[in-house]
Amino acid sequence: MTPPSDTLNQRLRLARDRLATGLITAGGIGVLLAVLAIAVFLLWETLPLLRLGDTLALAKLTPLAWGTLKAAFYALLFAVPLALGAAMYSALFMSTRLRHRLKPTLEMMEAIPGVVVGFIAGLIIAPWVERHLAGTLLLVIGLPLSALVAGTIWHHLGTRLQRTLPLSWAGLWLVPWFVLMIALAFWVTPLLEQQLPEDDLRRFLDKQWGIDYATRNAMIVGVAMGFAVIPSIYALAEDALADVPKSLLEGAQALGATRWQALWKVALPTAGPGLFSAVMIGAGRAVGETMIVLMASGNTALFSASPFEGMRSISAAIAIELPEAAPGGLTYHLLILAALALFVFTFLVNTLAEAVRQRLRRRYRRLEGHP
Amino acid sequence: MNEDGSLPIYYNICSAMGNPFKVQATQHRTCVPFIRLLLVALLASSPGAWASNISGTLGAVGSDTMAGLMLRWGEALVTRHPDVRLQFQASGSASAPPALLAGTTRLGPMSRRMTAEEYQAFEKRYGYPPLEVKVALDALVVVVHRHNPLRQLSLAQLDAIFSTTRECGAQAPLRRWQAFSATLDWPYGKIALHGRNLASGTYGLFRQQVLCGGEFRRDISEYPGSSAVIAAVGESPGAMGYAAYNHLTPMVHPLGVAEQETQAILPTEEAIQSGRYPLSRFLYLYVNLPPDEPLPAAERAFIELILSDEGQRIARAAGFVPLSPPTLKAQELTGD
Repeated sequence: MTPPSDTLNQRLRLARDRLATGLITAGGIGVLLAVLAIAVFLLWETLPLLRLGDTLALAKLTPLAWGTLKAAFYALLFAVPLALGAAMYSALFMSTRLRHRLKPTLEMMEAIPGVVVGFIAGLIIAPWVERHLAGTLLLVIGLPLSALVAGTIWHHLGTRLQRTLPLSWAGLWLVPWFVLMIALAFWVTPLLEQQLPEDDLRRFLDKQWGIDYATRNAMIVGVAMGFAVIPSIYALAEDALADVPKSLLEGAQALGATRWQALWKVALPTAGPGLFSAVMIGAGRAVGETMIVLMASGNTALFSASPFEGMRSISAAIAIELPEAAPGGLTYHLLILAALALFVFTFLVNTLAEAVRQRLRRRYRRLEGHP
Repeated sequence: MNEDGSLPIYYNICSAMGNPFKVQATQHRTCVPFIRLLLVALLASSPGAWASNISGTLGAVGSDTMAGLMLRWGEALVTRHPDVRLQFQASGSASAPPALLAGTTRLGPMSRRMTAEEYQAFEKRYGYPPLEVKVALDALVVVVHRHNPLRQLSLAQLDAIFSTTRECGAQAPLRRWQAFSATLDWPYGKIALHGRNLASGTYGLFRQQVLCGGEFRRDISEYPGSSAVIAAVGESPGAMGYAAYNHLTPMVHPLGVAEQETQAILPTEEAIQSGRYPLSRFLYLYVNLPPDEPLPAAERAFIELILSDEGQRIARAAGFVPLSPPTLKAQELTGD
């Protein structure tokens, strides 16, 4: 028999649990209702467009949709290899000590507001890159190659040197190597540029292929926005890879697979959906990101795929035009339509990513032997 | 002051300050703003006889170029006369004449002059013409990088540079710096174009006066403010941009603009005020004022504020050009 004070305690605890559950449910429903209300508001505000009967609406929005996708594409082009590569390395190769330092650092990167990244990209990096175009392009091609070179050299080092420069600490001892490579690139570029008939890469590009270079362009946006989405892609991908059941990897290595083989044949196929959803979340963020595109893209509503030309994204167009658009006017309703499109797109992408992640979680549970 | 003209109660509280021994420091502090408030009220009300108490709703329908400017003027009026309520609607200059005709508003801000038809329609409906008040000037500058050797352009050249339609009659588009002179070695390549966003008045004015109403090129970088345009041009040697007059910095230099074959005019405040600089326009306020009636107090105070030094300072701060003193003098409200 339990003393009465215990049942009272139990009852109190039960009541507290119920209250907490109720509050959380209410909060969840509130959030859902708010999302729904946003959708309804946007739909409602778009309706007058039908009455205004402007057939130009879609023609005006297509360059914006193109610009949004282009910005997201270049951002992912920059961010996905870096973030996934970093995730693979840190989940499977890196020393635990370094890994515990790295994760908070990358999370701090995510805390930098978009407007600050955009400001630096648009006002400092973009003009600098315009002045040092050749060097920057050399870096873009050269740095990944130099990493390969470093890998090859490391492979041919003696065992003793390999032990002093272990693979699990490569993230640290590669830093001086990269710094050296960057210095080399900027030392070499002027000499290389002198070999061109025009003495200047921009003139050369222009004369030879008619390639135009705008100060604020997709390359700058890609790098800046890539910088902003790397942390979220990395965090999700790293979780997915680190959660791959240890039994699988150990089994593979017990059967004689190298660590590299275990990564490619076991870890990646298992965590594949997780990596996919990480990229999707990154894409969703890149599509919705406003300030970076606004400040670094030049906002030219162009239909071009060139990385050296600007673009205009839906979110940037809304940010620029809405404060000055007269409420009730055509521009206003068009912008609301654009906002609706943006909302639907990010909603779908995020939902898809979340659904894939849930399936992955179930798969891990099955693999670990819990049905 | 209170409605009956007596001094407000806080005056009495603060008069106790005359005896410093009886008033504690804390009271002291609270009294200072009261006195200041009182002073402001006295100063603000001194110039005119109407000043005792202005209230009512100040409504205006018209130009969206002037939306921000009208609002700033309105706010200045409200700080002087807190009882005035503002009801401004900005849906384009073309919306002002119909609103004046329908009698929904008495003030119609317009960024252009009324056309003859609009004018006649008003006269036919009311039997008297609308009162036209010039309130400020709006001017554009075309700027290039401070080291750029280019000094002037004609309107037709500007159209060939910025538009796809060339409504003003240029033969071919101008896309490269070398098109100005084959021997020009620097800057090289395509002209990088910078400008304002679609919803801004600057965009509208440029389109109307430079493109002859045509279409802008699509590869013009658009910025949410004139200062951003100037900054972008200032950091890029191959760039050209247009912006509102008041945002010039030493990073860029403005180009002289020539109509046809005449001499190019540099955008100085004097040239803009006199109308010699081609890329400028007056901003108007049209008032529905029957000839034998006095203006309602709120509207009268509003127009007096606009034409005052303070009002013109506000116009300058909002990115417009103030009126020249002769224009201001010619428009002084007579004592009716």
